[in-house]
Amino acid sequence: MALLSEVKKDYGKLKNFVNGEWVDSTSGKYIDIENPTTGEIIGQVPMSSADETKAAIDAAQEAWWAWRETPPITRARVFFKLKEIMEQHIENIARIMVQEQGKTIDEARGETRRTIENVETAAGIPSLMMGYNLEDGGAEGIDEDAVISPLGVFGAVCPFNFPAMIPYWFWPYAVATGNTYIIKPSSQVPLTQNYLTKLVEQAGFPPGVLNIVNGSHEVSDTLMEHPKVKGISFVGSTPVAKYIYKHSAENGKRVQAQGGAKNSLVVMPDAVLDRTISNMLASFYGCAGQRCLAGSNLVAVGNVADPLLKSFVERSKKIKVGYGLDESVNMGPVISAKAKQKVLDYIDGAEREGGKVLLDGRKIKVPGYEKGHFVGPTVVDNVTPDMKLAKEEVFGPVVGFMRMNSMDEALDFIHSSPFGNAASIYTQSGKSARDFRYRCQVGNVGINVGLVAAMAYFPFAGYKDSFFGDLHGQGQDAVKFFTDRKVVITRWF
Amino acid sequence: MVECDFPECNTFGSVIRFALELEKGASAVYEDLAKEPLAASAAETFKALSAAHKKRGELLEFTRQQKLNEMILEPIQDMRREDYIIDTKTPKGVDVKAGAKFAAKIEETSAKFYSDSAKIAKNLMAEAARIMDKLGKESLANKAKLEAL
Repeated sequence: MALLSEVKKDYGKLKNFVNGEWVDSTSGKYIDIENPTTGEIIGQVPMSSADETKAAIDAAQEAWWAWRETPPITRARVFFKLKEIMEQHIENIARIMVQEQGKTIDEARGETRRTIENVETAAGIPSLMMGYNLEDGGAEGIDEDAVISPLGVFGAVCPFNFPAMIPYWFWPYAVATGNTYIIKPSSQVPLTQNYLTKLVEQAGFPPGVLNIVNGSHEVSDTLMEHPKVKGISFVGSTPVAKYIYKHSAENGKRVQAQGGAKNSLVVMPDAVLDRTISNMLASFYGCAGQRCLAGSNLVAVGNVADPLLKSFVERSKKIKVGYGLDESVNMGPVISAKAKQKVLDYIDGAEREGGKVLLDGRKIKVPGYEKGHFVGPTVVDNVTPDMKLAKEEVFGPVVGFMRMNSMDEALDFIHSSPFGNAASIYTQSGKSARDFRYRCQVGNVGINVGLVAAMAYFPFAGYKDSFFGDLHGQGQDAVKFFTDRKVVITRWF
Repeated sequence: MVECDFPECNTFGSVIRFALELEKGASAVYEDLAKEPLAASAAETFKALSAAHKKRGELLEFTRQQKLNEMILEPIQDMRREDYIIDTKTPKGVDVKAGAKFAAKIEETSAKFYSDSAKIAKNLMAEAARIMDKLGKESLANKAKLEAL
């Protein structure tokens, strides 16, 4: 099967997008963007300075009032236009994502679809941001209204695993509600956002409404500290999420900070094994395990353990690893050499702690891609709750197989984790499913679904150390995060 | 003759790619048959079938763009590429009967491919399964039409 073509071999030096113009960074500092599959350098991203970030904030502030005065239906129309343009570019968006991130083309196409869904949802803003009122709510002849208003400039600090979608959990809602926005894409995967912003430019948003500032901590810290920025959205690891939450809050910002995860998939004895395993393969190995909703611990309850493990390992062996631009590839590499080493260290550590590596992806060779950061599907048996592999986020295609006696024991284990992002149960029993969804203290619960990825019109939830803040990305939560209620009490003499 | 590059059928994308290759191949075969002097009496039927297969390709492109849901992108491990490969080397100098027989084999293989992929897609994406199912039934109807020539 021939590879799908790459959109470009080399994307050159990226620019920032500020006040409606593509501008070269003045910092003079650039880092390479690596294709994690081939090891090729496919572009350079600037490490913008604090001053450049401040200029973007000023541009966003300057653009805010005119945009806030633009009627919601007119703002929505620009999003309809953006959706139309994005539909024409789906394949390019997806292929750039494969090139810089390493995921498979199906995953990238799926991510692009979800990105567009957020634009579609935000385009419903005239209905989504309606306020409420009560005649005679104050007293006879005195009416009371709650008006939903935008606040000003917001910013997002974004991760590497979903280069297109995650910024779109936030900015379409922020801008549709009448705010202006600054995105700092991940410096590992800035190309997709760069391409998408060229489409945003064509859609007709006024200058300064959406700005892109590439870079690292200097950009993030400036966004968090600047008095004109009203709020920060973040997705990444828990330690950084904690820092972002604390530092932004100290500076008076609203914050929504999504952190790490350690998700368990619980298989009950009555699960439909064949379908369960197919579904779990997608959860454990999708995006090479680099997603905060990825399955990580496979918890077998009772006598299902042996047949489940045998079949799961057999089917894991058939996962085809390679370049995501080959449509028949099931799994790509992890993002970098450093990320690969971290995953390998976890597997080594699990072995030292008594785990039995039944399927070993450490030494995988992918012909033609010797410089790729590949880790093959890995299954470790005899994992116990006290082992690092059971407790810590690996962010790679590694399955910790655990045996438990009951759902209660599985739930106790899930609740012992500091994380609370997602958990799933596979069962044919309505009672077990009901008990699980009722009792499980995580933000996203799956019933016979291993990837509990909320659609655009639902919040992307998360509990405990997996989320810091109160209002999540996407849907109504996002609308609330980017707006405030203004109460107006009216009396006419 | 058109070159088809049939991939392994182990992802949603590769199944759709396989289907697109299949449609491309079938459409080209009908185009060739429509030009055969000895099969001139069925030229219009062959032309219509060629156009229909092109249209099916467009429907598949639309399916790939609109129906993909990454939440349920499970690996596909039950389809063997070899079971569905069609012969796109249209024989030369054939009459209506021989041409129709050659094309009917393509429709039969297509019908099996779509029927099998619909079963798998049903577990992943019901909407995609409905489209596969429709295409499979169309292929069977085409086969019957060819056999009646």
